[in-house]
Amino acid sequence: MLRYLIVLLDDTSTSFCHYTASNKEPNLISLDILRKAIRWAMTENLTIQFVYPSHELLDEWNETIETIDHVKIKPATAASTSDADVVVFEGLEAIDMPLSKRDVSIVIRTRMSDFLDKHDRLHKLLAQANRLNVVFTDVDSFADDDQKAYDEALASLSLVVKNEYVNNHPVQFNLLTDRIMLTEMNNCGAGDSTITLAPDGQFYVCPAFYYDADGYPVGNIEGRLDIPNKQLYRLQYAPICRRCDAYQCHRCIWLNRKTTLEVNTPSHEQCVVAHIERNASRRLLEAIRQEGEFMSGTEIEEIDYLDPFEIARP
Amino acid sequence: MSEESTKIKESEGTWQDGIAKTITFIVTKDCQLACKYCYLVGKNEQERMSWDIAKRAIDYIFDHESDFPEKSVIFDFIGGEPFLEIDLIDRICDYIKVELYKRQHHWFDSYRFSFSTNGINYHTDKVQAFIKKNASHLSIGITIDGTERKHNLNRIWKGEGPERGSYIDVVRNIPLWLEQFPGAGTKVTISSADIPYIKESVLHLYSLGIHEVNINVVFEDVWQDGDDALFEDQLMRLADAIIDGGYYESFACSFFNENIGKPLDPERENRNWCGAGKMLAIDSAGNFYPCTRFAAYSLRSKRPIIIGNVYDGIDKNKLRPFLTLDRLTQSPQKCIDCEVASGCAWCQGENYDAALSPTVYQRSTAICLMHKARVHANNYYWNRLFRKLELEGKREDFEKNKIDVKPEIC
Repeated sequence: MLRYLIVLLDDTSTSFCHYTASNKEPNLISLDILRKAIRWAMTENLTIQFVYPSHELLDEWNETIETIDHVKIKPATAASTSDADVVVFEGLEAIDMPLSKRDVSIVIRTRMSDFLDKHDRLHKLLAQANRLNVVFTDVDSFADDDQKAYDEALASLSLVVKNEYVNNHPVQFNLLTDRIMLTEMNNCGAGDSTITLAPDGQFYVCPAFYYDADGYPVGNIEGRLDIPNKQLYRLQYAPICRRCDAYQCHRCIWLNRKTTLEVNTPSHEQCVVAHIERNASRRLLEAIRQEGEFMSGTEIEEIDYLDPFEIARP
Repeated sequence: MSEESTKIKESEGTWQDGIAKTITFIVTKDCQLACKYCYLVGKNEQERMSWDIAKRAIDYIFDHESDFPEKSVIFDFIGGEPFLEIDLIDRICDYIKVELYKRQHHWFDSYRFSFSTNGINYHTDKVQAFIKKNASHLSIGITIDGTERKHNLNRIWKGEGPERGSYIDVVRNIPLWLEQFPGAGTKVTISSADIPYIKESVLHLYSLGIHEVNINVVFEDVWQDGDDALFEDQLMRLADAIIDGGYYESFACSFFNENIGKPLDPERENRNWCGAGKMLAIDSAGNFYPCTRFAAYSLRSKRPIIIGNVYDGIDKNKLRPFLTLDRLTQSPQKCIDCEVASGCAWCQGENYDAALSPTVYQRSTAICLMHKARVHANNYYWNRLFRKLELEGKREDFEKNKIDVKPEIC
């Protein structure tokens, strides 16, 4: 069921996920389309997430945005992030910037190799932030040889996270704590619970489908939303994912399409990365419990595979 | 017909069915014929496989033996018309045999070369020499659609000028073919215009000495209003003719199968019908496909699905959707609830081509009414045949001897 509308306010709106918002010049959404988007969201009972560019918007746009309850996703390079609900940093270098407030959600987009080299830079942030999401921009090139290094990086960060929990700061860190908190799949939702409106007035399954040359629209704000084979975006129609318990996995619909040509089928790389995180979460849960009672009733089973494709073949 | 014989002839099935890897070489996209129902929309005379591409493909496959764990292999050669490239095929097969031996490959002595041909060049010296050289590892099917009238309705020579049917150019080679492959069967394809000729065509093929006739309706959405009723009527007439003529004892027609027309259990019977992805096809450019139906020349409206090439190998991520496909995930609710679902086939390539979005997960239901018509006639056939056997006191004997034939999986 559709619950969220993502509105890209400009062609240069920040990416907050795996895709890169590339090769676009500034092109602000028209006021007319913006107003129609807000009206449509109200009639459909949707929560809007506005995605901002670095440059400031004109007053009339800002005033229009404030006519509806919403979430602001802003790049860390924006002129002001004080009112942002989510702030996006590009790379681990950029996070030295001071955070304006503690309750903002932080997204860090990074290459896997940078993360493996520089994950220590997250220590300070884990102590400060309430919510930290690390998103890899090159999951599709994750090699089986990277598994050990990724596992070790997460083990190192687990020590920091464990101390935060012991010291009464239950930081949410997507790579390590989401799996502990979740009791069912909580994935990307593109095409199912979430739809994107681009500055061209067309709907896309997610922003990546707007920016990618192979992307395609699924209706427009003037007409109607029309997602062909809509069922394929739902978990029950994903043969690998519906059996999986890496509940924190992004299950990125765009990466699925890009790597396997099907929106409902994840790549080997996406599955392995998610399972290394799942297993690290399991060890973190055990480690926190050694310090005291924690999340009683929650268990993460030990499994002997990293790619659920191995158990999903009919 | 023998009075004592009560063993009913059933389809032989495919060699090493289910345990053999099928590797298809699309050696040419050219054909002498321009059959009206042919799904190959992009046939041409230019795209012929080179020896270099063929050798690279074989080397890749043999170099990656662990990726091909199947016990046996069927090397399939298709076109267009494969025998137009008999010199290349002969070289490929010689190379395969030598390499299997040199590498002590697990497919050594567990391989077969398979051909579906229009039969026109079957008698030529080069084809005959190839057959003699590889006789113990060969299966060849010649496509003949039935009577001259029925065959020539669709299977015509390509080129300008008045239509010219190919029946006489094919039928002259049937005796030689049956002499060399006595158990061979033929494939018949039924499109809308062919329906009135089904009965006479099957009986004609029997009269030519072909004991196994595998017939399919085309998967494409070509059917007209009323075709299902006409189809059912033809199959009922065919059923009567087979039973009254006693043909059931030594001839088989794939339309009639005891296992079709039953509901399918959603958990136990959730397998995909089609073998796309478990097969591998290679074209003249050296591209790999999950099946030939995903090559550009087979597709009307979608991009080809290329899963790799002879230079870079197979991208296993692109095989994942095919290898995890199941019946329920791709079927609309009406198919899941269908009370006569068993035996209702689909082609993954046609599903993809006809889908609303670029996916192999949308099952085309263009043959729905035709399947239901087939089920009616099939029920009639078995009820009538069993009653006849009971009255003749042969039913028990039949049940003891009958072969449990699984529905044919592509």
